[in-house]
Amino acid sequence: MLETLIDTLFLKTHNTRLVVLGVTFLGAAAGLIGSFLLLRKQSLLGDALSHATLPGIGIAFAVMTALGMNGRSLPGLLLGATITGLLGVLGVLAIRRTTKLKDDAAMGIVLSVFFGLGIAILGMVQKIPGQSSAGLESFIYGKTASMIEADFILIAITLTISVFVSLLIIKELTLLCFDSNFASTEGWPVLVLDILLMGLVTAVTVVGLQSVGLILIIAFLITPATAARFWTHQLRHMLWLAAIIGAVSGWLGASISALYPNFPAGAIIVITAAAIFLISMIFGRAQGVFPRYLRHRQLQKKVGRQHLLRSTYEILENSQESKPLKNLAIPLELLRKHRYWAKGELSKLIRQARAEDHIERQPSGELRLSESGFGEASRITRNHRLWEMYLITHADIAPSHVDRDADMVEHLLGAEIVHQLEAELELSKSTIESPHVI
Amino acid sequence: MKRFFALVAAFAVVSCTQKEEASTDGPIVTTVGMIADVTREIVGDKRAVINIIGEGTDPHVYKASKGDIDQIQSASLVLFNGLLLEGKMGSILDGKKSAHAVGENLDGVELIGGAGHADPHLWMDLSIWSKVADRIAEQVTKLDPDSSKIYQKRLTIYQQNLNDLHTYAQMALGSIPVDQRVLITAHDAFSYLGRAYGLEVRGIQGISTESEAGLKEIENLVTYLVDKKIPSVFVESSVSDKSVKALIEGAAAQGHTVIIGGELYSDAMGPVGTYEGTYLGMMDHNITTIARALGGSTPEKGFQNKLSH
Amino acid sequence: MLPDHPPEFPLAVHDLTVAYHRKPVLWDLDLNIPEGKLVGIVGPNGAGKSTLLKACLDLIPKTSGEVLIYGKPYEQQRDLIAYVPQRESVDWDFPVSALDVVAMGTYRKLGWFKRVGKAQREQARAALDQVGIGHLADRQISQLSGGQQQRVFLARALVQDAEIYFMDEPFAAVDAATEQAIIELLQNLNARGKTVLCVHHDLATVSRYFDYLVLLNMRIVASGPTAETFTRENLHKTYGGKLNLLDDVAEALKNIGR
Repeated sequence: MLETLIDTLFLKTHNTRLVVLGVTFLGAAAGLIGSFLLLRKQSLLGDALSHATLPGIGIAFAVMTALGMNGRSLPGLLLGATITGLLGVLGVLAIRRTTKLKDDAAMGIVLSVFFGLGIAILGMVQKIPGQSSAGLESFIYGKTASMIEADFILIAITLTISVFVSLLIIKELTLLCFDSNFASTEGWPVLVLDILLMGLVTAVTVVGLQSVGLILIIAFLITPATAARFWTHQLRHMLWLAAIIGAVSGWLGASISALYPNFPAGAIIVITAAAIFLISMIFGRAQGVFPRYLRHRQLQKKVGRQHLLRSTYEILENSQESKPLKNLAIPLELLRKHRYWAKGELSKLIRQARAEDHIERQPSGELRLSESGFGEASRITRNHRLWEMYLITHADIAPSHVDRDADMVEHLLGAEIVHQLEAELELSKSTIESPHVI
Repeated sequence: MKRFFALVAAFAVVSCTQKEEASTDGPIVTTVGMIADVTREIVGDKRAVINIIGEGTDPHVYKASKGDIDQIQSASLVLFNGLLLEGKMGSILDGKKSAHAVGENLDGVELIGGAGHADPHLWMDLSIWSKVADRIAEQVTKLDPDSSKIYQKRLTIYQQNLNDLHTYAQMALGSIPVDQRVLITAHDAFSYLGRAYGLEVRGIQGISTESEAGLKEIENLVTYLVDKKIPSVFVESSVSDKSVKALIEGAAAQGHTVIIGGELYSDAMGPVGTYEGTYLGMMDHNITTIARALGGSTPEKGFQNKLSH
Repeated sequence: MLPDHPPEFPLAVHDLTVAYHRKPVLWDLDLNIPEGKLVGIVGPNGAGKSTLLKACLDLIPKTSGEVLIYGKPYEQQRDLIAYVPQRESVDWDFPVSALDVVAMGTYRKLGWFKRVGKAQREQARAALDQVGIGHLADRQISQLSGGQQQRVFLARALVQDAEIYFMDEPFAAVDAATEQAIIELLQNLNARGKTVLCVHHDLATVSRYFDYLVLLNMRIVASGPTAETFTRENLHKTYGGKLNLLDDVAEALKNIGR
């Protein structure tokens, strides 16, 4: 069993090699081109396209048989698929343009009509004598295993050209997806670019019909791209990542289905991609649920620490007349009354500050800033007041509102901004008075 | 207004109930050509015989159209193979009282495969199909008791032909050298042939073409092919040849050349109107092609010198 | 100080009519914008201000009429034009940085297939510096505030070194700092003799920002230098029954003197 697993994963045998390589390549191309489809917000159009390929397959079979050729010749079938697929897309655009129907209705109509037509044609075509139409229905769910070299070469060539073209016009596609109005004013032929993009999607779809089937190809186009988005904010990285995720899904999925003959390749591939998506959604560094949660918690901690230290400092200020300020102990009650704390928040923050050696608990039960804590509190309070000053003088905000705004914004400031503020307000290095009563 | 609704309701009820069973004047309807051909041989001109699943069409995945259903409904007798050969027509055939599975419950016939998964390709064994011919004769005689004598006579002649062909098969297939007695085809249709005439039989897909040819199956077969140095494999007229081609390429990658020994008629017969379009011709073609490709010796034009190639 | 200007206007609109689904939005517009002005396009909501801009730029089809840029049709004069769209016309969640967006202004000169290179990136950085967000160049655009996003759009326009700038509501919902930056930019362009057209919504600031005014409500109510055009009578004609904006208008009238 293990030996078979290794053999399969490392493509030891000819047939496995063809199938797995083909699907891997398909995955990479689908990831790349699917990213643009996603960014152009036309993923559903890709779905309408894939469903619209079905009648073309049946019609191509019928036509080729009638012409005396081999009805199941792959290039012919794929050509038929391409033609009706594109007709489907044109149908959606036409409906959009000439009626008041919105996108989703237009796509729903085209998708179901074309697909239904396809099923009907396949039913009719099975009666044509002389040639078996067996295997045409496999385009619906995909049927990878019996890939032959000629198929693989066709797939490889089509995908190579598609990837090459998409990389060639990567900046044009980026512009198209981001701001098509601006692109238009700049003289870029938006319609042509949209057609090109659709053409690339069509190529990937048609080539993927055999492996993944027309129903699942859209998942192959969308899922790696959306998964990639969770990891990065940079377009170039997203494209790379989407291609890699697509390739890995294809490779793993096809390999697994090779090992277990009862598992259809298309479904396993899509499930693999979905699993990667799920992981990305939860753990993706840029936008994943978990990292966002962690960042939020970190911010809360930071904000909480600053509130605590500043409150302590302000209490000291209030209780002393003379300067410089003496670092005395203060009762917990004073702290508790000084500002709003959420339930349990104050004790948690105090624990945190003690762990950071900023606050000490005296035998009397009162709290006292440590030396480092005192310095930190002083710094934080100064920053806060600088910011308040800036908001008042520059942003016309009534003084009583200032505290709130400063609280929210200052915690996001860094050292460089602070220096800027100081320069602006021409202050020296000392604590300044709070511009409103505490 | 009330009357209108009553009419509509009555109409709806009437159309929803099943059609009356056709009178016994209707034609005989068969599903596959192998049954149709034998039936025609027996009834001659006495009855019209309509066949639903035509040449080159795969019965495992065939879906009946509205026209087909109408024909079945209006038939006086429906003869089908059974054993799930007509996989997607089950409910239609079940609903017809005068539909008879000619391949099921035959005396003295041991089915290959367990109950519920039996291999339905009975026509590949001439002796079994001879029993089926008897069963068909039984059924049409029930339908036309007056023609019983004629039917019986025709059956006897036909059985003789079957018997002769059976002898030919034994000779032709028997002449294949011992180490080449392996038959590899697109799907598992030929098990009965193998059992009857001493060949080892393997199909890339299972007994139904609905199942997917998995990568593992193909690779196992490639290994088998290469190990046993088998020279030819066979495509089928009603099944996609892709998996066979994949097999050949796989073997080639390991340095072993395999050729396509010929096209066999597995689930459907040859073109209508030709010799191969009859049951005898179909089996003749299969036997002769297999024997020749695997290194046996056969007459140029087969059993009765009638093969077209 | 202004360069020699050609006899034609930077923007000349003749008999422009634009209709959506048979409802006319702009009706028989005639407009000539002189060179080197800071033009504010003002009117009530739904007056067709954005539509006018988009029709000039061929973003929506004209039902009839023509638009000329320095005497020639728009398609031939793209090099002279820069467009700053409304901020919400774009999905700011797009995975690009501020620098990437500004660099898009250099695409046209680059041409097909060529990549954005060091020269383009330097230009983009310079433009971002000019609008005061040079330090945000590598930040992803969703992490920018609304005002910063607006400045990214402006920087993109700057990079194109155009003669005429079409801006759609650049001041909408921006913070004070951004407002300041935009004004400085506009004045800079004005000083260099460029023509700038802004769709603007805030009557209170109109006379402060613009030296030329177009009052629009499906048709041109009035156009001309601000001092002459921004009158009580014209405002009444433009805003018609919508003068429960009385406070705004009153406020605006107060500023006429400034």
